[in-house]
Amino acid sequence: MKRRHFLKNSALASSALMVPSFLKAFGGHSAGASRTGKILIIVQLSGGNDGLNTIVPYRNDLYYKYRPSLALGKEEVLRVSDDLGLHPAMTGLRELYDEGLLSIVNSVGYPNPNRSHFRSMDIWQTGSGSKENWTTGWIGRFLDNHCSGCEEAHYALEIDDSLSLAMKGYERSGFAMSKPMQLRKTTEVPFLKTLGEQYQNSADHSVDYLYKTMIDTQSSAQYLYQKSKVHRAKGNYPNTAFGNDVKLIAELITADADTQIYYVSLSGFDTHINQKAQQQRLLKQYAQAMKALISDLKAHNLLEDTLIMTFSEFGRRVKQNGSRGTDHGTANNLFLMGGALQQAGFYNDAPDLRYLDNGDLRYQIDFRNIYATIIEEWLEADARSILAGSFDRLALLNAR
Amino acid sequence: MADTKQIQHLYWRAGFGMSPKEWATRRHWSRDKAIDELFRQSGKVAPLDSRDKGPDMTLAEFKKLSKTEQKRLQKQTKELMVTQNAKWVSRMADPKESPLLEKMCLFWHGHFACVSKNAKMAYHQLKTIRQYALGNFRDFVQSMAKDPSMIRFLNNQQNRKQQPNENFARELMELFTLGRGQYTEKDIKEAARAFTGWSSNIQGDFIFRKRQHDYGQKQFMGQRGNFDGDDIINIILDKKETALFISRKIYRFFVNEQVNEKRVKELGDYFYAQNYNIGKTMRYLFSSDWFYDPANMGNRIKSPVELFAGMMRQLKVEVKEDRSILFVEKALGQILFIPPNVAGWEGGKSWIDNSTLMIRLNLANLVFQETEVDFKVKEELTALKRSKSARKLKATIDLKPMLQVFGRTSEATLFEEIQSYLLSTPPQWTADFMRDFTVNRSKATQIKSLTVRLMTLPEYQLC
Repeated sequence: MKRRHFLKNSALASSALMVPSFLKAFGGHSAGASRTGKILIIVQLSGGNDGLNTIVPYRNDLYYKYRPSLALGKEEVLRVSDDLGLHPAMTGLRELYDEGLLSIVNSVGYPNPNRSHFRSMDIWQTGSGSKENWTTGWIGRFLDNHCSGCEEAHYALEIDDSLSLAMKGYERSGFAMSKPMQLRKTTEVPFLKTLGEQYQNSADHSVDYLYKTMIDTQSSAQYLYQKSKVHRAKGNYPNTAFGNDVKLIAELITADADTQIYYVSLSGFDTHINQKAQQQRLLKQYAQAMKALISDLKAHNLLEDTLIMTFSEFGRRVKQNGSRGTDHGTANNLFLMGGALQQAGFYNDAPDLRYLDNGDLRYQIDFRNIYATIIEEWLEADARSILAGSFDRLALLNAR
Repeated sequence: MADTKQIQHLYWRAGFGMSPKEWATRRHWSRDKAIDELFRQSGKVAPLDSRDKGPDMTLAEFKKLSKTEQKRLQKQTKELMVTQNAKWVSRMADPKESPLLEKMCLFWHGHFACVSKNAKMAYHQLKTIRQYALGNFRDFVQSMAKDPSMIRFLNNQQNRKQQPNENFARELMELFTLGRGQYTEKDIKEAARAFTGWSSNIQGDFIFRKRQHDYGQKQFMGQRGNFDGDDIINIILDKKETALFISRKIYRFFVNEQVNEKRVKELGDYFYAQNYNIGKTMRYLFSSDWFYDPANMGNRIKSPVELFAGMMRQLKVEVKEDRSILFVEKALGQILFIPPNVAGWEGGKSWIDNSTLMIRLNLANLVFQETEVDFKVKEELTALKRSKSARKLKATIDLKPMLQVFGRTSEATLFEEIQSYLLSTPPQWTADFMRDFTVNRSKATQIKSLTVRLMTLPEYQLC
């Protein structure tokens, strides 16, 4: 498969925010760089979250007609507008909505939707069209070409043992780590440690590449471990794997780690069977974790500098199936959270249940428009080369 | 003249390295002798074990079974896929099997990249790949176009006269034969018509559905006729561009990621002139002097499967649990029968990120000590529960061959000898340096710990 050549854009100077001096005082450790500029946190809900039961059209007769037993009642939902309410488990998000820290984009998808987990997740992670098979991710390509001052291996950090495609570029990749202590143990094995310390640059490119990657890993592992021990995150995180992952992100951010992009996922949304309990369990911990994260960001005056984007690889079908669940669908809602939103609340109208595409929701907004907005306005990079195409920005952010 | 580094290079590129015994005897062979032996062995292989495809059953028969029985069969087919996977890797490692054939199968599996959904389909596809891996490429493509996994993966199942689906036709041309820019959108549409009705049944057999086939006239690449799928493939292969495209892929995989277009053309011309005879072309490649150019040696990052199979071959590893192999594949990003998409595995640096590199470097330790690794592989997107993280690599090693080959090497040259065997590129570390990290109580412990250390060096990742 031919590689695409993404244009280098050297004209872009980094206009990262300078950290106000009172924040520097919190910095603590002087060793290692401190973060300046904006933080992006991507939360992936894996499996295809049922958007229609997440943002509920509680006054829509069609909703109740299509989901006789699966629909959430108008008394159950957390009403946030005259027509829409949040899933009852998401009380944390309701508070964020009220505070103006949540933007909901309805009906996000792409042309020729693919209902295979594999394919659709690849499409979202690579930022490609649905007929294309790209081998790099959108964050990876951002790292490749557009990030001045991001030499640190952990500039983009995924809280997981292995790296998602989203984080893989041609030349550069994000950094995967689920537990700082564990990673440090692996990298600080005495033999490897000595190799890293005593390595002399090899003229052999392949050898050099491997050693440099190892050394960068060791250095980042050490750095992240140190930052993870500072312990400034005080939010009330759910006691689950996902809760711990989000808490780790909060720990690193509040310890002033120089990571700028975080990626974390919550699995289990493929609710073909017995959806109610499963989705309730997941959305509850999701909302609680987001609320806790925002509270920590707020406590450290980092809200305006942080943007959290939550997505799922597809929504689910409008009609419930015969197993008290729903099957793979298409368009879904997407959440943005943080202190720099241009339009708190709903960005656009709820999906129209009268005009379905063969039982599926029609997308209104191409997810790449959202990526373009984030790339240009938040990451300050060239969206056209990263997405290999022109996608208009949306009035979502108020980046300064 | 025998050049051990060249023989080592040949065995790593055309196979999965050499066992200690092979190293002891064959590294002094001439290139021609080694090549002859590789090809001779490739012709003497046992067929796949047909029990691994699971029971033959029609849909009607399946529906008659109880729900428990159905669930058991579904579980069984998944397990049989893991079995087939593990057996394939074991064949790569086993000196009694043909490394050349298995390597070619690995290459073609990545080329005709397709996800197999069950044991029967995986078996059928691998059988086809094995049949043609060193055979005729034209026959190969025609066979793959009728492969049930491929048909379903690329939606040809839904390709019918009334409603054509272009996916297979597109990927056939873009990825499997010609490459981009050698055909028009119209060609794709017309080709799709020719493949209508090429379908499969639930048992995993190719079925030609007459009523779904478009028998009409088609216009394809400047030619006109009532073409069917085979005709389309013939027209595609009649174009020299196909030979060139495939040769470029072969070059990238077997020679160097940095393509030398002059050599690709040389290979492509030969491939075409030999009427797409893969075996002859590979022999031509391995016999060419430029294949042994130092610029092409020791600079290729081993794919996960090559890394593990090579280690198994060197340490005579016996994997006690098939799932252990699957775990390594998942952790390192290459699962047999489940390529990431129709473009296959990118290879090269894409294998390496901070997570996969650390696992690769620690792999030998894992294999030697059978320790637990605290690593959670990414779950399937369908998984409802987070998977457990602690994993044991259930494998045993047999160091007798290593000890036999290096047991009588003097202390002074031991490091040099073993390093030369295990690594394709000389490390910057000295024997003295290594001595601090090895157990030197006896020759045996020295050999063992030197082996682990050398396999832990980043250099071991290259071949």
